[in-house]
Amino acid sequence: MSYTGVLDLFASKKNEKTIISSCYYEGALKIARPIYLEEDSPSIYLIHVGGGYVNGDSYFTQIQVDDNAHLLVTTQSSTKVYKTPTEPVRQQTKIKLGFGSILEYIPDPLIAYEDARFIQETEVEIERDSCFFYSDIITPGWAKDGSFFKYEWIRSKLKIYRDGQLVLFDHLFLEPDPQMNGIMQMEGYTHIGTFILIHEQVNKKFLDMLYSHLIETFPNVHLGLSALPDQGGILRLLANHSGIIEAIIAEAQTYSRRVLLNKESILWRKY
Amino acid sequence: MDNDLIPLLQLCDSNFPSGAFSHSFGLETYIQEQVIVDKESFKTAISTFVDKQLVFSDGLACRLSYEILESSRGMNELLEIDRLLYVSSLAKETREGNRRIGERMAKLCMELYSSTTLGEYLHFIKNKQGYGHSALVFAFVAHHLQIDKEKILSAYLFASVSSLIQNAVRGVPLGQTDGQKLLVEMQVKIHEAKNRIMKLTKDDLGAVSPGLEIAQMRHERLPVRLFMS
Repeated sequence: MSYTGVLDLFASKKNEKTIISSCYYEGALKIARPIYLEEDSPSIYLIHVGGGYVNGDSYFTQIQVDDNAHLLVTTQSSTKVYKTPTEPVRQQTKIKLGFGSILEYIPDPLIAYEDARFIQETEVEIERDSCFFYSDIITPGWAKDGSFFKYEWIRSKLKIYRDGQLVLFDHLFLEPDPQMNGIMQMEGYTHIGTFILIHEQVNKKFLDMLYSHLIETFPNVHLGLSALPDQGGILRLLANHSGIIEAIIAEAQTYSRRVLLNKESILWRKY
Repeated sequence: MDNDLIPLLQLCDSNFPSGAFSHSFGLETYIQEQVIVDKESFKTAISTFVDKQLVFSDGLACRLSYEILESSRGMNELLEIDRLLYVSSLAKETREGNRRIGERMAKLCMELYSSTTLGEYLHFIKNKQGYGHSALVFAFVAHHLQIDKEKILSAYLFASVSSLIQNAVRGVPLGQTDGQKLLVEMQVKIHEAKNRIMKLTKDDLGAVSPGLEIAQMRHERLPVRLFMS
């Protein structure tokens, strides 16, 4: 099948420094030139050439990080999904992490507007000693009448495999109905944020410290943090605007970088 | 004689020692945060629980497992569902709670209604190649006893709802009569849920409710707890 946009990136380590050793893109997806905010690891900004995703669009992104390489990936701006009268928008992402590699995948929020249908499928292969930070923020766009939740549905599936075995399956299916605002669903909030961290040293002690740190920095936020079956954690939160979710995820990322990777915070300048 | 009836009554009995008695699956967080305070607020909560959690995870998994057994497609596909249920449960206590209940039920049902397939499942659980989930155990027992698929699905949904109501009677607390009234009021909901499950596909499996999941995660950090999840 032909895609609306394709992006294929390969990062590898060369003389103590990670470089983008191959990069292919076509259609509506491209990347800006890698920026070295840190000496040894590049930041990649994913760019959508059009104004947003529309009816029937399909996107395929592949990111491979070779052994011991360290790559940071973000987007230049939020991803907007507009109405999809006949075909939903489909975004497929495949990520592969080599031994000892690090990928920080922190895109801007997804905004789903009125009558949007969106399928997001992300598959990640990791090794026992690779490190993976991942975030996802889902927000409803304003409808003409000023109300939220006018999109039709959003289906987001994240699968993480280690040694060929599924180790995490995060499946969100958001379909606005009378229960959507209520208990167990959005609890009266509008925005959902997720931050997943996988690293050999993520254990109960680390997660307890991260939790205390976040709660002290952001009291009164509706968040949960729990351990994944094996060397990982997941943070899930609800709020009423993207700013607070982005700030909390950035804090969790910074804390994890400091404790797990012995690195300082990263400042992605965006326009 | 109705051969289905008595085994179903036994499996769904709130005294059936599955361990579900000790788990609120996040409901206790809502009780402590005073979101669930009485029969009405609990009813809203358990209705969403049925429509989302039980339909998309437990109930659908039970139906799919039963269909795999019917078509003799084999243990690998069953273990795939077993693993999917385990790894899609993102709050640790709930994931471990479901696993413990599943393992305990598998052992018990092997004593009561032993079958080759259930024996195999238990073997995989013991060898840590499987995790254990009540949805699969119900499917094994029902298929072995030739209980109709839709019947076991209703029974499974009823057992889950009944156990949560019993726990709410202790936890909220609610009156015993209110608990029983609620169980009557949930009958239509259970029926609708079963019908919806019959229309879903494997693609729908494991879809979670974000708020519930956060409540299940927050349960780990409640200072005083009546339930293990």
